[in-house]
Amino acid sequence: MAQQTVRQTIKQVKPILSLDKEEARKRVVSLYKAWFRQLPYIVKQYDMPKSVEQLRDRLREEFNKHQDIKDVRIVDMLVIKGQMELMETVNMWKQKGHMMAYFKDTWEPKPKDFLSKFLSGKD
Amino acid sequence: MLRTALGKALKGAQLSPKHARVMSQQPKKPEQIEVFIDDIPVKVDPGTTVLQAAAMVGVEIPRFCYHERLAVAGNCRMCLVEVEKSPKPVAACAMPVMKGWRVKTDSEMTKKAREGIMEFLLINHPLDCPICDQGGECDLQDQSMAFGSDKSRFTDIEHSGKRAVEDKDIGPLIKTIMTRCIHCTRCIRFASEVAGVDDLGTTGRGNDMQVGTYVEKMFLSEMSGNIIDLCPVGALTSKPYSFTARPWEIRKIDSIDVLDAVGSNIVVSSRTGEVMRIMPRVNEEINEEWIADKSRFSYDGLKRQRLVTPMLRDNTGELRPVDWEAALLTVAKQIKNAGANVGAIAGGLADAEVLVAVKDLLNRLGSEALCTEHTFPMDGSGTDLRSSYLLNNGIAHAEEADFVLLVGTNPRFEAPLLNSRLRKGYVHNELEVALIGPKVDLRYQYKHLGDGTDVLQQLIGGGHEVSKKLKSAKKPLIIVGSEVLERPDGAAILAVIQKLSASTKAQEGWKVLNVLHKVASQVAALDIGYNPGVDKIRENNPKVLLLLGADEGAIEKADLCDNTFVVYLGHHGDHGATIADAILPGAAYTEKQATYVNTEGRAQQTLVAVTPPGRAREDWKVIRALSEIVGAKLPYDNLNEIRDRLDEVAPHLTKYGEAENANFFKQAQDLAKNVKTQLDCTPLDVKLKDLSDYFMTDSISRASPTMAKCVQAVLKQKQSKF
Amino acid sequence: MASILRQITKTLRTSSNRNVVACNFARFQSTETSSAQAPVETRPTVRKSDPMQRTQLKDFGKYVADCLPKFIQKVQLTAGNELELLIAPEGVLPVLQFLKDHHNCQFENLADIAGMDVPSRPNRFEVIYNILSLRFNSRIRVKTYTDELTPIESCNNIYKAANWYEREIWDMYGVFFANHPDLRRILTDYGFEGHPFRKDFPLSGYVEVRYDDEKKRVVVEPLELAQEFRKFELAAPWEQFPKFRPALASVEEVKTDKKE
Repeated sequence: MAQQTVRQTIKQVKPILSLDKEEARKRVVSLYKAWFRQLPYIVKQYDMPKSVEQLRDRLREEFNKHQDIKDVRIVDMLVIKGQMELMETVNMWKQKGHMMAYFKDTWEPKPKDFLSKFLSGKD
Repeated sequence: MLRTALGKALKGAQLSPKHARVMSQQPKKPEQIEVFIDDIPVKVDPGTTVLQAAAMVGVEIPRFCYHERLAVAGNCRMCLVEVEKSPKPVAACAMPVMKGWRVKTDSEMTKKAREGIMEFLLINHPLDCPICDQGGECDLQDQSMAFGSDKSRFTDIEHSGKRAVEDKDIGPLIKTIMTRCIHCTRCIRFASEVAGVDDLGTTGRGNDMQVGTYVEKMFLSEMSGNIIDLCPVGALTSKPYSFTARPWEIRKIDSIDVLDAVGSNIVVSSRTGEVMRIMPRVNEEINEEWIADKSRFSYDGLKRQRLVTPMLRDNTGELRPVDWEAALLTVAKQIKNAGANVGAIAGGLADAEVLVAVKDLLNRLGSEALCTEHTFPMDGSGTDLRSSYLLNNGIAHAEEADFVLLVGTNPRFEAPLLNSRLRKGYVHNELEVALIGPKVDLRYQYKHLGDGTDVLQQLIGGGHEVSKKLKSAKKPLIIVGSEVLERPDGAAILAVIQKLSASTKAQEGWKVLNVLHKVASQVAALDIGYNPGVDKIRENNPKVLLLLGADEGAIEKADLCDNTFVVYLGHHGDHGATIADAILPGAAYTEKQATYVNTEGRAQQTLVAVTPPGRAREDWKVIRALSEIVGAKLPYDNLNEIRDRLDEVAPHLTKYGEAENANFFKQAQDLAKNVKTQLDCTPLDVKLKDLSDYFMTDSISRASPTMAKCVQAVLKQKQSKF
Repeated sequence: MASILRQITKTLRTSSNRNVVACNFARFQSTETSSAQAPVETRPTVRKSDPMQRTQLKDFGKYVADCLPKFIQKVQLTAGNELELLIAPEGVLPVLQFLKDHHNCQFENLADIAGMDVPSRPNRFEVIYNILSLRFNSRIRVKTYTDELTPIESCNNIYKAANWYEREIWDMYGVFFANHPDLRRILTDYGFEGHPFRKDFPLSGYVEVRYDDEKKRVVVEPLELAQEFRKFELAAPWEQFPKFRPALASVEEVKTDKKE
């Protein structure tokens, strides 16, 4: 009974792209593949000081960040945004800085313990 | 304004003590009468005015001259309302309601009356709102928007023009632009009723009426700033604040004043990281809606003489700026070398958080040498029983007293708001006051009993003329200044007073013995367990001495060993900083969220209005960081955790707004029998005798140019022939 | 497309028997009688209302609501003379198609599409279409709602102008428009994360961008600007006596005779 109502509520929401989990998973996988195949070209085209392996790791990390998301619609939304990014990348609309921003190599770690917070003046 | 008035309406319109007394004498409550405000029925006590009755149902009638805490004048006529079957509109602020009256606060007649009054007021009011400091918070502006006519009939600009009045010079605090005055007489009433300075008054009649001081004279009162708040227009504005900010662009933070032990509630207005002004906040238990001038105007001292970076004394004996890391490491090295031989002295502006942090740190190091700058007798019950060092009866109840004995205190300058309560009792409640100590001007009459300690003995013996009054009084108060208790025979004085207060026949729940402190930190420090007085430091001669804003010169460099390393943690480069070997800059009371306990034992907290300047940090955080480097890490990292620790030490410290009172008079008196000190024959004395002594008493007000100007003005006025 | 037209004709057929459609928008019969007694606005600073125009707008609103009862939830007049249709999100295409193609409407121009975010609502976003009829010199506003995840049909096939407007709303609010031919960012930088017009997006953003001389490229770094807590005093200082200044209702609902 409870399951039925759950199913009903799921049916009531309007899907973005995918009708069920399987379809959403396929979209995610195909997006992953598309990015994965593009990575060697990205390294060359953007003249990135990174190896293809590093980019692959980063790609996997990015996808794994969202691995716990179960809601089909959120998955779809992320896929749409991922496709948008891929298009921007493939078409060379982005620049090197945009691509390197994925690696956050200039970010300084925030002070965590009391003393370093105190000395840096950031509470 | 609306909020306060509504609050009153909910509580039921509170009458002045005069009315209250009349009612309390009658055995049964008179029958309430029903009136209708805009057809809303409301039951009120007889004698309630139309305006108060309207406030009870949430209808605010516009007004200029009426003020809840002042006598009714009824001269602005803005509160005219229509009453059914009355041919003329009536002044709501002065007219008591009659049975069955139907008041119409929004009828055509009322609207027309308001429009007419507003038109008359504006005939002689300049159109200088763009350059007026009151602009944006002006009653005249607001009410002319709400109730005024939408067009002007004033065309007489070429012919005779608007009235112009010469500005008066009434001192360095209040700027007068008398052309803007609408003659509401609130300032005059405040001066004569609350401040007790009959300097202000009116001259002339009709169009020639002027508010002024008759002769050229400063308006010298410790409460003078309140007439700025009272003035509904821009005639009286703050001189230090003039042309600095507009009310809609400043940020207001509710806070607590710490420049005396009363703990007045204030609102700190800030803009661009600077404190622009300080105004009072209503708290019926403490300051009503007034604050003293030192609290209001000494904020410019927060920008001057500030310690903005850690400093260390180098080989040549000069203080050099260093970064936090170096300063903390140096201090920590000294502390480690000293072992348990570390002491601390808490000054008058230290908050409860830093007090408890320092106590925890020193206890972890194995030291107990924690002192306050101000002494309190330790003989007898000492500071173990809270009731021996609090203003037990509360500030608000002082106005209900029928006999007050002041011992070695000048409440007018040590706690101006307590003095205003006493004056209120004197004016409205036939309070009698007697004083032992130097003859000072309290702005009300009192019986001066001399300044010798022998008077106390006579009072105990019952041979004195006043002792009969003290014994027969139902609500007697004995207020002891903390200053006389700092004397060598302080314990004896306290013991005598404890005996004296036990001998009175006060009614149930009325606490006779009251100690009036002078500094904001003292009660919290004693609650946390600091030793009053610096004797312990003098005896121990610690290797490292930590001064928590101790600027009163209780300890000199000469009192210490040559190799004592003095660390000053505070916000102003004052006395303490000059003798320090290391300076750790802390935050002033407007820059930290901190707990203070006032003289009646009420814990209150300040809030952060601006960030500390430069590299200054909140005081307890400095101690917390230092503790980690020393290797005795304190177990709190944020405000909530240190507040939990405060709660552990003394639960009342985190019950903000509540006065935690104590009632151990009997035990204290038993212990007082053990006191061996004898009364000294030196006369009782107070430091603050004259208004010129009042303005500069702590590191903030000493750094304030405005306060310096006030002192100059008082001295100048003394030479004047008026 | 065909189905939409079919739907419209159906709704028209059902409504025609109870509402005699006047052939011209301007010729609607006045149903409002109270407008004659309404006090004439004399204050110079207050906009004067035109009772004739108001009546026409109200009648037109009622007419549209009668024609499309399935989608139109509410009809209202704002600011005195601006007609608004509040519709369900499913009805975007039929309603806009109707308003564009119906002989009595002919709202052929899409002036703009606006977004709005009210986080407290269950459907936090509003999408607002401002459309213009040159034929009848009239404007109308169509409002619908959605949340972060529910797509709205793109009206690109009805109004070509919608293309970039919808991209803008997608970029600024993250509302997804289904069947949009080219839905991608339009204003924000490539790689930008978040939707800046959402109320929960901080004024200063999450990252700052600067040119790094050492790396010879633009770098993106986290931004920490402590935003001061602002306390708005609503009681003071302007309105101390609110009782004496009744607020005028800016929104006026037009009653539609829905049989429900």
